[in-house]
Amino acid sequence: MIELRSVTKCFGSTVAVRDVSLDVPAGSVVGVLGPNGAGKTTTIRMVCGLIPPTSGRIRVAGHDTVAEGRAARHLIGYLPEASPLPAEMRVDSYLRYRGALFGLHGSRARAAIDRVIDRCDLGAARRRRIGTLSKGYRQRVGLAAALLHEPRVLILDEPTSGLDPAQIAETRSLIRDLAGDRTALIVSHLLPEVRATCDRLVVFAHGEIRADGAPGELARTVAGGHRIVTETRAADEPMVAEAIDAAQLADLSAPESTGDGWVRRTLGASGSDQEQIDAREALARALAARRVIARELRRDEPSLESLYLGIVDRPAVEGDRA
Amino acid sequence: MRAIGAIAWRELASSYRTATGWVVLALYLALSGFYVGFAVLEPGGPASLRPFFAVSQWLLLFVAPAVSMRLFSEELRTGTLEPLRAAPVGEWAIVIGKLTGAVAFLLTMLAPTLIFPLILAWLADPEPGPIVSGYLGLVLVGTAYLSVGMLWSVTTASQVLSYLGPFFVFVGLWIATGTGASLAGPPLDEALYALSFQLRIRDFARGVIDLGHITFFLAFTTWFAVLTVVALEVRRWR
Repeated sequence: MIELRSVTKCFGSTVAVRDVSLDVPAGSVVGVLGPNGAGKTTTIRMVCGLIPPTSGRIRVAGHDTVAEGRAARHLIGYLPEASPLPAEMRVDSYLRYRGALFGLHGSRARAAIDRVIDRCDLGAARRRRIGTLSKGYRQRVGLAAALLHEPRVLILDEPTSGLDPAQIAETRSLIRDLAGDRTALIVSHLLPEVRATCDRLVVFAHGEIRADGAPGELARTVAGGHRIVTETRAADEPMVAEAIDAAQLADLSAPESTGDGWVRRTLGASGSDQEQIDAREALARALAARRVIARELRRDEPSLESLYLGIVDRPAVEGDRA
Repeated sequence: MRAIGAIAWRELASSYRTATGWVVLALYLALSGFYVGFAVLEPGGPASLRPFFAVSQWLLLFVAPAVSMRLFSEELRTGTLEPLRAAPVGEWAIVIGKLTGAVAFLLTMLAPTLIFPLILAWLADPEPGPIVSGYLGLVLVGTAYLSVGMLWSVTTASQVLSYLGPFFVFVGLWIATGTGASLAGPPLDEALYALSFQLRIRDFARGVIDLGHITFFLAFTTWFAVLTVVALEVRRWR
């Protein structure tokens, strides 16, 4: 549905996006992640046809975003960062105006407005001026406007930026609902945001795509499989060491005393072929066989945070910033 | 076409949803009405609206930038130009829509002044021709001013600069094609007089509908609309 081929964008001598290629199939919800200045917003602005690439080609449903910009833009529902809206307009007037820009008039426009107002739960705000609405409601108005013409592609730039925790939860749930069977690109620099809503992550750093895959898959790739966290009595240390060997595990870091006679340790698979196997049962059996009591024994999934930091901390390629 | 209408309607409606629109309207009507009361409805004076058209072209110097300053500057300041440009609407449609909306505001601002010819007709027997052509001249010169202001508003998110820029351009043009032309002497004065707004407005107020004047104002407006489209395109490529 969305294809980027060797896309580069320069602003003067600054390379904002460097040789990015990406395929987003129809129906997938892709999180575009990266720190500020990574090139993600520039990339999606190019996808929306707001700025042309310096080189390379972008197609949306087969339409080139430069040569067939209007046809491509017709297929996209775009919510820019901070959801800019005209404060002086009423919600329904604004939606009518947006509908007209996308060729919706008369009864079709009215039906579309009713649909998105219902979908985004804007009934109570329908006749209110946008400038008097809370940030959460304004975000909903922006989403409603993006959905009005039933776009096949939904592009949301930092959709929960500036919202309070309750509004963030509401907006995320709404986005999950709205993405439905659409192709969606959700841009964020917040991990929980994309983890909660996306089935694929693309991580940008220094204008390049540094990682691309399902959230779990990416985390495993970087962190090397799951870990097991356990707490056992300090007095049982020799038996614990035997049990760890028997379960084919190894300490990933030095065991720590909890200060109350117990020892906490983080274990990982000792062989690379064991990465995907849950070793909790083997460890529990080995500990029980040695009459060792564990007050904690849990699986610890590798975190996306470690993946993210690992990727974005990698230095830029020479000449990124001219 | 409908997108142009939607943009124009939004501009017109937004002008009346903000205090600026009402303030501009009130000041123009108050000042022009005050002047008409003294200069036009003077007992024993000629039954003509020429003083009204003369003062209105001056007032438009102040009024037009106040109308045009928000056309793009406001959208740039609030970021709403981004979703507008993400819609399947070309630059031309955006520019024509915005200019049409601003001209529509100008027309709604001039509409209440139709009371002046009605009062004049009640008191005396004015010629209708100069009144019709005078209004035509005001609309044409107002549209030309708005097109310059629109171009200026694409270049800055500051409404203050967006007001002051075209205002000083108009004043400069006014001086250059008036006093400046007299001082310059031949052959430069001919070129400056050819650019003069006030001479053309004077003709319209006298009842002369000159196709050359109409073409001049339309070409002037079109030229600045083209420049606005180019400025929008440049913004896209920057």
